[in-house]
Amino acid sequence: MIAANQVNSSRLEMKDIKKSFSGVSVLQGVDLELGVGEVLALLGQNGAGKSTLVKILGGDYARDAGVIALDGVEVHFSSPRSAIGQGVRILPQELSVMPEMTIAENILIGDLPATFNLGISKLDRAAMDEKAKSLLAELGLEVNPRALLKTLAVSEQRIVEIARAISSQAKVLVMDEPTAALTETEVNRLFEIIRRLKSRGVSIIYISHRMDEIFEISDRVLVLRDGKVTGRFETARVSREEVFAAMLGDAVEGLYPENLAIIGKQVLEVSQFNLEKKLVDLSLDVRQGEIVGVFGLIGSGIELLGKALFGALGNKPTGEVKLEGQLFKPRNPEDAIRYGVGYIAAERKREGILAELSVRENTTLPFLQRFNRGWSISVPEEEQYVSRWIKQLSIRTRGSSQKLRYLSGGNQQKVVLARWLADGVKLLIMEEPTRGVDVGARKEIYAALRDLSNSGLAILMISSDVEEVANLSNRIVVLDRGRVSARFERGVSTKELMHAAAQTIPSH
Amino acid sequence: MQPPKPSPVIEGSPQAGWIKSLRNPTGVGVLFAFYILMLIVFSILSPFFFSPQNFISITTNMAYIGLMAGTQTLLIIAGGLDMSVASVAGISGVVLSLLLGVGFNIWVAAGVSLLLGAFIGYLNSISVTRIRINPLIATLGMLNIVEGLALVMTGGLTRPVSDDGFSFLGSGRVLGIPMPVILMVISFVALYWLLSTTRFGRFVYATGGNPDASRLAGVPVNGVLTRLFVLSGVSGALSGLILVAMLGASAPTAASSNLLTVIASVILGGTSLAGGRGSVWGTLLAVLILGTLNNGLVLLNVSSFWQSVTQGVVLLLAVGLDQLRTKVLGD
Repeated sequence: MIAANQVNSSRLEMKDIKKSFSGVSVLQGVDLELGVGEVLALLGQNGAGKSTLVKILGGDYARDAGVIALDGVEVHFSSPRSAIGQGVRILPQELSVMPEMTIAENILIGDLPATFNLGISKLDRAAMDEKAKSLLAELGLEVNPRALLKTLAVSEQRIVEIARAISSQAKVLVMDEPTAALTETEVNRLFEIIRRLKSRGVSIIYISHRMDEIFEISDRVLVLRDGKVTGRFETARVSREEVFAAMLGDAVEGLYPENLAIIGKQVLEVSQFNLEKKLVDLSLDVRQGEIVGVFGLIGSGIELLGKALFGALGNKPTGEVKLEGQLFKPRNPEDAIRYGVGYIAAERKREGILAELSVRENTTLPFLQRFNRGWSISVPEEEQYVSRWIKQLSIRTRGSSQKLRYLSGGNQQKVVLARWLADGVKLLIMEEPTRGVDVGARKEIYAALRDLSNSGLAILMISSDVEEVANLSNRIVVLDRGRVSARFERGVSTKELMHAAAQTIPSH
Repeated sequence: MQPPKPSPVIEGSPQAGWIKSLRNPTGVGVLFAFYILMLIVFSILSPFFFSPQNFISITTNMAYIGLMAGTQTLLIIAGGLDMSVASVAGISGVVLSLLLGVGFNIWVAAGVSLLLGAFIGYLNSISVTRIRINPLIATLGMLNIVEGLALVMTGGLTRPVSDDGFSFLGSGRVLGIPMPVILMVISFVALYWLLSTTRFGRFVYATGGNPDASRLAGVPVNGVLTRLFVLSGVSGALSGLILVAMLGASAPTAASSNLLTVIASVILGGTSLAGGRGSVWGTLLAVLILGTLNNGLVLLNVSSFWQSVTQGVVLLLAVGLDQLRTKVLGD
């Protein structure tokens, strides 16, 4: 039983929430309390159970066991609609807005004001404008409510989404990685809004991987690991190390391999590289046995660099690129592969894996001609080749003919990595090597990368994960708004990297 | 590298690889069961149904449709679609008869028709891969253009084509098997070989499965689609020639009504319209099923108006059941 005085101060109470999917227990009795006007940071590795917990709260999933109480009253959400009706709103990581509708329509879509004439209802545009305007003003955004939503910047669209949530009297807002696509100034604006919402008594569950943000905005921190609560902290009284330890458990130990690199000859040399003003006068080089990290926040240009070097953007990039001293100007990816360059895209699902093809077919795709015997592919030889990599990278799969979509994110990533581990590949351009990868696989991928680099592969690692860049790279290039803002050797702190990446970062 | 973790289980022997490459085997199994069931039912209902002659007549009538459906399967697996294929069959017959009329050798004329088919396919591929028009719209446009041109060229009239050597393509037999059936079987075996054992075949699945990822893995996505569109155009033209040889005449819209049967066969055969999944054997079975259905209903004296209804019902049922199976059992 919940004591009466606790109920009064508590807005949301989730008790002993359990959930399994086809026999696999994803939440093993999670408790979560959220006070009125409180910001609770929800932390955990991918697969820790955060999104399942949030989906149960939002009415997307039914819980197997447990109690949810809102303002002391037990509630049952059968659908997202019923959750919204009772004041619980989930703002997913991806914006869910309608770009072709007006700002006012986007905000008020759930409850459009209308006038009635002769029994025919007509949208009350004036009332809509007024309501939308006042909601946005409260969030500090002044725009014409009749403008189409797509005319706004992404960060402003996010604010519209929040306005929609508060228009329906949301009591609990869940923000899932709300800053993923925002610049530093926009993040500060969002925080300003969160503070205003707090003062109105809105309670917020804030999901993010960015420690800086969590320590700035949250009141309390709840950490999940493997479906259990492994940490409950007051933000003001906890250190990052403690939070990390709760998140990672023992795995944090030895996450990054020793660096034993023996540096060889130069493989890649980029100078005066430009891409339509999004990358400006870039220069960098990678030598054999080196992992060179390129770090930047989203929007800094790092998301374009890999594709530009790999020829995936055609002849748009300008500048001089040399591979082992020879001019390297691929017209398309096929061309780059012939030169001995591999590329792993950040968006694994969209640009990396072929979900319906098998592990074997995914692995051999770029160098399939090597398995040609006469006119046909020799499947046994393919099989032999692939099973070697399955063993060496510890890819957990039922076999080489398993479809890739049945593998976990980490194992999919290993398959995508194995694709480029063929003879003759000199340079691997790898974006976000461990995005959406659990900590165990993360460690294995880091070890594999280091191992490959030690055996002579030059690796250009482009990542927005400050920790992995700081800990895995031999040298680091930091991009800020398309330009190199700093260069570091191994041993630089994550804080220094963050500062170099966002020079506009305010000091708190 | 760290010492290898407990090594994952590798299933099956490498030799079983080509069997596994029969994609979506369960789907094909269900279709086969349905086919057998249909044979049994019609055999009970009609004394004329179950005979070698009738089987040969069914396959002969379906052969030119099967030829189009086979290449269409590859195209749809790769994420494309060719709505113009049946109209190409029409115009290829028309061009053949017109060229004959001005004194061309019939085999030369047939060659020109095939080239025209290839050219139309190439135009389709430019619309889709260069101009980036949705394949449905691009080839629908082409369908109208080609069919219209065929009508313009003939004034809408049917023209007789008589040449003993050429009509062998339509009504000749080798070892008792009609030529159209032989051509269809050869085409399916060749397409199966192409799809399941060659690099190009792998690229077809990859292109349809995820074109962006495939391109970044070095698959010449546009090249794959271009080749398949050209192949589809050629198969349309070849079907048209066979039809002329069977009928002894060319008609501008001779095959137009078969377009939906072609597409229906591919879908019924388990190929995903979203691309990335499918098999030619499923399509072949589906062609047989649709042909047998029509034939059986004729033998039972069911009005031909009902045949179209039945074909639609079978398509919806088969695809619906397959969806249900995937949902319930997973795959």
